[in-house]
Amino acid sequence: MGDVLSEPSTAPVQLAQVSYRYPSARGFALRDISLTVRRGEFLGIIGPTGAGKTTLCLALNGIVPQFYGGKFYGRITVAGLDTLSVPVNTLARYVGTVFEDPETQLVTTSVENEVAFALENLSVPRAEMRSRISWALQVVRLAGYEKRHPYDLSAGQKQRLAIAAALAVRPALLVLDEPTSQLDPMGVREVFAVVRRLNRELGMTLVMVSHAAEAMAEYADRVAVLDAGRLVALGTPRQVYAQVGMLQGLALRPPQVTRTFHLIGQWREVRTPLPVRMAEARPRLPHLAAQLPPSCPPPPPPAEHQSPPQLSVRHLSHTFGDGTQALRDVSLEIRAGEYVLIAGQNGGGKTTLVKHFLNLLQPTAGQVLLDGVETRTLPISTLARRIGYVAQNPDQQIFSTTVQDEVAFALRNLGVPPDERRARVRGSLTAMRLWERRDAHPLALPRGDRTRVVIAAVLAMRPDIIVFDEPTTGQDFRGARAILEITHQLHRQGKTVIVITHHLYLMAAYAERMIVLRDGQLLLDAPLRAALREEQTLAQAYLAPPQAVQLARALGQLGARPMPWITPEEVAACFAPDGGRV
Amino acid sequence: MTESPLGEEREVRSFGGIAVDGAPVAYIISLAGVVTVLAFIPLSVVLGGGSSFPMSQGVYPLVGWILGPVAGALSSSIGALVGALVAPYTTSVIWVTITSAIVGSFTAGAMVDGGPRRHWWIPLAALFTLSYLLYAGRAVVQNGVELLPALLGSFIDWSALLLFILPTRTLAARWIGSSDMRRVATGLFLGTWIAAGLSHLTASTVMYFIINWPNPVWMMMAPMAPVEHAVRSLIGAVVGSGVIAGMRAAGLVKPRWAMY
Repeated sequence: MGDVLSEPSTAPVQLAQVSYRYPSARGFALRDISLTVRRGEFLGIIGPTGAGKTTLCLALNGIVPQFYGGKFYGRITVAGLDTLSVPVNTLARYVGTVFEDPETQLVTTSVENEVAFALENLSVPRAEMRSRISWALQVVRLAGYEKRHPYDLSAGQKQRLAIAAALAVRPALLVLDEPTSQLDPMGVREVFAVVRRLNRELGMTLVMVSHAAEAMAEYADRVAVLDAGRLVALGTPRQVYAQVGMLQGLALRPPQVTRTFHLIGQWREVRTPLPVRMAEARPRLPHLAAQLPPSCPPPPPPAEHQSPPQLSVRHLSHTFGDGTQALRDVSLEIRAGEYVLIAGQNGGGKTTLVKHFLNLLQPTAGQVLLDGVETRTLPISTLARRIGYVAQNPDQQIFSTTVQDEVAFALRNLGVPPDERRARVRGSLTAMRLWERRDAHPLALPRGDRTRVVIAAVLAMRPDIIVFDEPTTGQDFRGARAILEITHQLHRQGKTVIVITHHLYLMAAYAERMIVLRDGQLLLDAPLRAALREEQTLAQAYLAPPQAVQLARALGQLGARPMPWITPEEVAACFAPDGGRV
Repeated sequence: MTESPLGEEREVRSFGGIAVDGAPVAYIISLAGVVTVLAFIPLSVVLGGGSSFPMSQGVYPLVGWILGPVAGALSSSIGALVGALVAPYTTSVIWVTITSAIVGSFTAGAMVDGGPRRHWWIPLAALFTLSYLLYAGRAVVQNGVELLPALLGSFIDWSALLLFILPTRTLAARWIGSSDMRRVATGLFLGTWIAAGLSHLTASTVMYFIINWPNPVWMMMAPMAPVEHAVRSLIGAVVGSGVIAGMRAAGLVKPRWAMY
């Protein structure tokens, strides 16, 4: 079906010495970028927060600079069209764009209307429109969902619908800006599978920004690395991700399999180039297994908390007004000082569960108790002092006009004296590396920074229990690690930390215990190290163990011994000369 | 910033197809949505006009300051029309509601301190003066309302007209464009008092000719109307300060006739 795509006369995308500065900014968001994207290529773009990835995406469809204004240097041609000379609405015929949050792109009340929306605006004839809608929905595997309301779809389905809407225009180029960051691993696989099909079967040219290093290594033809607006590296995934030192210098993350081999290479013979995919690593494992020492250091024992339960959930069920059963007979206990990871598929009930802790939702059946007192009897203001909640979408918690006002808001309402208030605001903002941005408008910050503003506001309240709902979404590796380091510090201070996330590879070094929900039911509740090895059970909740866990298991099978390691550092430590620590 | 970019600097243009009078269509639609949502919220007791007034009246001028007079009037009228249809309890006569929205935004957008549109206020002032003469004149001359109740009952209307004719019109505009957010808020309050007051005058004149409310209503309006109008102005100041601070910080493209 390659003939259905708009055929450009030249390379789909050419950037020549492109620099761009936003109207109110001092520095350049893009700087002297020259790049050609070949027809039918899948180009991945990676880089730390603020590297210019989103600006580059917006430049490809002319929104930068036509909508934002500012200073623009150089030239971008897409399908032979100059993005400064051709209006955005004309470029939209050639460039489809899918953003991070699909809900910001869904504007109609049915799936087929959503796909039809851009076509109607482009005056595509009715019969042609029907044909394209049918084709686009088939491509993204949403055929049969035509009459469904977009908001009734799962997060992965919504993102696939956004792709279908962009696809129906039959663009020469499809630009995807972090389309998987809010999705569970199953949703990520769905989106990457669709994207790969578009690329391989239809020959569509793709530009995709993503922090999902493992998936990017698997699917992309080339990877471009941006830093401070400059293109600092460009090559195949193997060429780019194998440069572990360069990536670390930019606070970027290589796939776990690459990092593991890189660490092992400090002590053992490891052939180069380093593997960037599991499939490349597997043939090398027998050679590695043969080098395993007779014994490896044992893993640290699971943490034990003897204190009485701080939070008790007893036979909790919750049914929403529309009849959706979000939680079904969930029972669990969380003790003071625990660090708990809650995972599961999108729509599995994770957020619904923690909202009961704060009495933001009341049980349909069952009880939630905080230190033995039912939360439904406690006012939300009291619960807010005890339990800090960092919501999944930071924008829902931001309403002040400066960062420091945002952090000070709750303290002012709690009557905290001005001197202490100032000290707490400074401490929280410094911890979140936001003190320099204290006078900025919170909504002017990137999403990752906005999340940190909300975390800073919660930290300033000094609650006993802190719930982080998907705190690493939209963060680069450095940002995600910074937030998790904060959770680690809070945990060491004796706070109870509860983190909801799909990013299991990040949590292996932090959480003690893992709770998995599936369709509102408790599927798994175990120490983290044991839980991550429950591959079959995790798969039921659309989760997959990190690559390090998979490597350890494969090595263990080859060496006929248990290998309970869950991080690249732990796997590599087994190969250290003294069998010691990394 | 010491190194110059390698590429040649290009002229950046916003193409007409996506803008109305220099305001992006996306802004017009977004602010129309804000007006619609605020139309759901009633803010007063039912008096002369027969229904309570919607919170959206407080932001008609803001829409004009953000988008300019033409795009602002378009945005407000779309928002007011949709609002009147989905929240009829805050509307007496739909076309009067829409006219009121258009006048509020257009007048605000015309309160400029220089530039090619600096004289737009003159025909508007003449129109509003005529409107006030019809309004108060009908009350005093035709219906025999005493002068004092008529003046007190129409205080917000004549005070707005006076402030519109005096240099306070451009003072409000300068404050709205200030970098000091306290001045911005003050400018928004003063400007909303003026533009929303003149919008109220236009609507009241029409409604008075339609309903011709009884004389005691003038006495009841005397203490209540200024309070209501202060609330409108406060809404404009509070909502406007947040919106303007956000738009400045976000660094989005500024509509051609924006005053912030």
